[in-house]
Amino acid sequence: MAKEDNNKYYLYLNGRILGYVDDPKTYVKEVREARRKGLISGEVNVALIEKLNSIDINTDKGRIRKPYIIIEDKKSKLTPELLDKLWKHEIDFNYLLRNGVLEYLDAEEEENAIVAFGDEDITDQTTHMEIDVTAIFGFTVNTTPFPEHNNIARHAMLANFTKQAEGLYASNFNIRFDSRAYLLFYPQAPIVTTSAYEGVNIKHHPSGQNFVVALSTYYGYNMADAVVINKSAVDRGLGRSIFYKTYVDEERRYPGGQKDKFKIPAPTAEGYMGEHVYSKLGDDGIIEPEMHVDEGDALIGKVAPPRFLEENIGAGGLEEKMRDDSSILKTGEFGDVDSVVFTESTGATKIVKVRVRSLRVPERGDKFASRHGQKGVIAMIVPQEDMPFTENGVVPDLLLNPHSIPTRLTFGHLLEELAGKAGAVDGKIINGTAFAEKGSVRMEEYSKMLEKHGFDRNGEEVLYDGITGMPFKAKIFTGVVYYNRLYHMVSNKMQVRSRGKVQILTHQPTEGKARQGALRFGEMERDALIGYGASLLLKERLLDQSDKAEVLICKQCGDIGYYDRIKRVAVCPLDGSSSFEEVEISYAFKILLDEIKSLHIMPSIKLNL
Amino acid sequence: MAKEKKDDEFKVKFSEPVGMMAAQSVGEPGTQMILRSFHFAGIESAIATSGLPRIVELVDAKKKPATPLSTIYLTGSAAKDIEAAEKVSRKITEVKMNTLVRRIVENFSKGTIKILLSGQELESEELTPKQVADKLGKLMKLDCSVEGFAITISMHTKNLREIRAVRVKIMRAVISGIDGAGKAVVQKDNKTGELYLISAGSNIESIITVEGVDKSRTYTNDVFAMYRQFGIEAARNALARELKATLDEQKISVDIRHLLLIADAMTASGNIKGVGRHGLSGEKHSVFARAAYEETIKHLINAAAFGEIDPMRGVTENILVGKQIPVGTGSVKLAIRKEDMAKVKPKA
Repeated sequence: MAKEDNNKYYLYLNGRILGYVDDPKTYVKEVREARRKGLISGEVNVALIEKLNSIDINTDKGRIRKPYIIIEDKKSKLTPELLDKLWKHEIDFNYLLRNGVLEYLDAEEEENAIVAFGDEDITDQTTHMEIDVTAIFGFTVNTTPFPEHNNIARHAMLANFTKQAEGLYASNFNIRFDSRAYLLFYPQAPIVTTSAYEGVNIKHHPSGQNFVVALSTYYGYNMADAVVINKSAVDRGLGRSIFYKTYVDEERRYPGGQKDKFKIPAPTAEGYMGEHVYSKLGDDGIIEPEMHVDEGDALIGKVAPPRFLEENIGAGGLEEKMRDDSSILKTGEFGDVDSVVFTESTGATKIVKVRVRSLRVPERGDKFASRHGQKGVIAMIVPQEDMPFTENGVVPDLLLNPHSIPTRLTFGHLLEELAGKAGAVDGKIINGTAFAEKGSVRMEEYSKMLEKHGFDRNGEEVLYDGITGMPFKAKIFTGVVYYNRLYHMVSNKMQVRSRGKVQILTHQPTEGKARQGALRFGEMERDALIGYGASLLLKERLLDQSDKAEVLICKQCGDIGYYDRIKRVAVCPLDGSSSFEEVEISYAFKILLDEIKSLHIMPSIKLNL
Repeated sequence: MAKEKKDDEFKVKFSEPVGMMAAQSVGEPGTQMILRSFHFAGIESAIATSGLPRIVELVDAKKKPATPLSTIYLTGSAAKDIEAAEKVSRKITEVKMNTLVRRIVENFSKGTIKILLSGQELESEELTPKQVADKLGKLMKLDCSVEGFAITISMHTKNLREIRAVRVKIMRAVISGIDGAGKAVVQKDNKTGELYLISAGSNIESIITVEGVDKSRTYTNDVFAMYRQFGIEAARNALARELKATLDEQKISVDIRHLLLIADAMTASGNIKGVGRHGLSGEKHSVFARAAYEETIKHLINAAAFGEIDPMRGVTENILVGKQIPVGTGSVKLAIRKEDMAKVKPKA
């Protein structure tokens, strides 16, 4: 671009070029003024991009926008008088938007704005001010206490964990038939809350509990994000929850007048799985409420017409051949039937919903997380008498390894622990809203509260080893932290197999939990064994434990023969000879040979005898 | 004695799968390499491809590297004296017509091409319009007349097509230096204080003919250029050296023997072969091993057409059929079978 064009700015409307602007700064200013006066829509955003010599006007949908208070001549447009009126409900938020007190900026226009956090930050250049400092965080982060003391990467994790937390997700859970639902037994409101948390009323359906946490190791059992929890606390209901799963089935109609039927399948039905499978079903073919069910049990007995039209339709007359299509509890699942519901679809077909409930007491492998992106998996559940205890006889619910703090920079976790303890001993709910107070001021406040009740001002306690009864040499930071139980539980994920199902096509073991599959011994694992020179181990993995097949190879033509069981001789389909050698090959290789044959290529095997 | 034992431990033992180990030893650190990382502040033209893209380029035996680079050592006074070094540099640095031309106009009615040279550029390359015209005349057998910074070329035709073709050729003509040598820049070795040149080209064949260039040490990162000029052994060394240099740059330490093995495998046939489909993997003896890699159908059809026999001596094909692999513990076999023992007469 030549130099003389530098003052000309391209004007883009929603990314499309409209023309040139000679005086970009005035232009942008005028557009913004028009917007503030309400002459043009408040949804219009203008951005001046000096680097690219362009002005971008955006009016299209899908932009993320955020409201700011407009600052002019170092003065906030939101005057105390207006604020007063707002408190009295004489005006509302929209009034402020319409009258040029607030405006929404999109990501692009934000680049032109210089935003002050508060009145004290306003300088000559300031164009906007945050309505509240906490608005620099998202909503989820603002529901956690002291987010300003945490690493931002932990906030990203925290936002995910919040979604995964179990709690009282809906108070009508009893009449809902969610396909999967998790319900915490004794949800508690957190001791340390924030104004955002209070504002949305989620404390009436909370999703966690206040744990007494000691920042201590426990032999080697809480290394690397593992946690140790107190067995007696678990027995008292800590982290206890219920898992609901709903099974649905429908009596479908098929073209040709056939339809499904809910009933206990007759032993003659195709795919009948045996009497024991259907033994818990009622007379109507549906399981009874409060019946305990285990994997392999039928919940809804159903027969369906055969998948393919058979030639003997009508010939049988009365008993048409039916196929078993019952709903079976999958491997690893168990529980009690909570409730059964009959309804109807819009197509007037019968629908049955069976909700199975199963208790999920915390066990080794279940996942917990605090509100600071600090997740942990239970590695050990220790009886209360073996847990460390304080002078007052308080036994922590959870032992968190102190190594999990410094590298992750989650100082908010420590602050919450202190605040939680102070709140617990003083009987107060603590406000942990971001930027509400300086960290040091807050600490002083909590320390005073603790001292008032005779506790150490730093939250440290002398802990005694539950096994030896001796005090630990170091004082241990103990407090109260709000923990979420996350819905990742071993009992839903655990899977084992030694021998088991194989795929029909390849004769190789199946893959995946749903099919009781094995773990794949893949290409890179294969490479490792080759690299080590372990030829027999490799053969065992890839052949003996996988798709070994014994085939007959014709000594004359090298084709694969078969054994004729009626004549009791081996036959070569090519030359009819009967001199064979029995050879172990992988079934995959047999398929390969078959496929090569299907290409009209004749592979033959020469045996070195 | 103790030292001997230690050396022995490092020797490759019988039937050790060295190729697999080399592949893993290069492949694993390769996953840690950051794609196109660390760019050095320095001469713009001397920034070479580095990291994974460079490794891929070497291992795939690309005919031309993305950033050819030559390290040109100097002899005599040029190695110490910066003036002399600059002089050699000017002899090598490739100057194309298009960098000298400010404007070029064809006159189709008169059949002439008028070139206006840029004085600034000429000055920096230490050339005169006369020299340029002479060179052009010699190079393309043209009638050139010089007038100030203007060169007029009179063509003996008014054919539009021919004139345009000549114009394009003129713009590509190399006026001074060596075609394909790029810009040579004088560098100083920090340790020895020796001067050498770095050029962004790999026409080493011509570069070493320039007076003042040390033929024995001059080097390029273009493995094929090394092969053409110095032969396959030099190419093998260059390959290993480039691989090592690329890994070292990323601070990844891989034993040089793994890299030498790769270089050996790639050059064993006497010319440079890549490791992929058109190189080592595509030329395996076993039909199954080739079919298992890429272009399955092609290999099977060809095997059928020519009646190929798979000797089943490699690793891949034996895994495929489910035999013990002839590597490591699988490489030992019974010398005599049990049933044959009876045939052996016991010594009386």
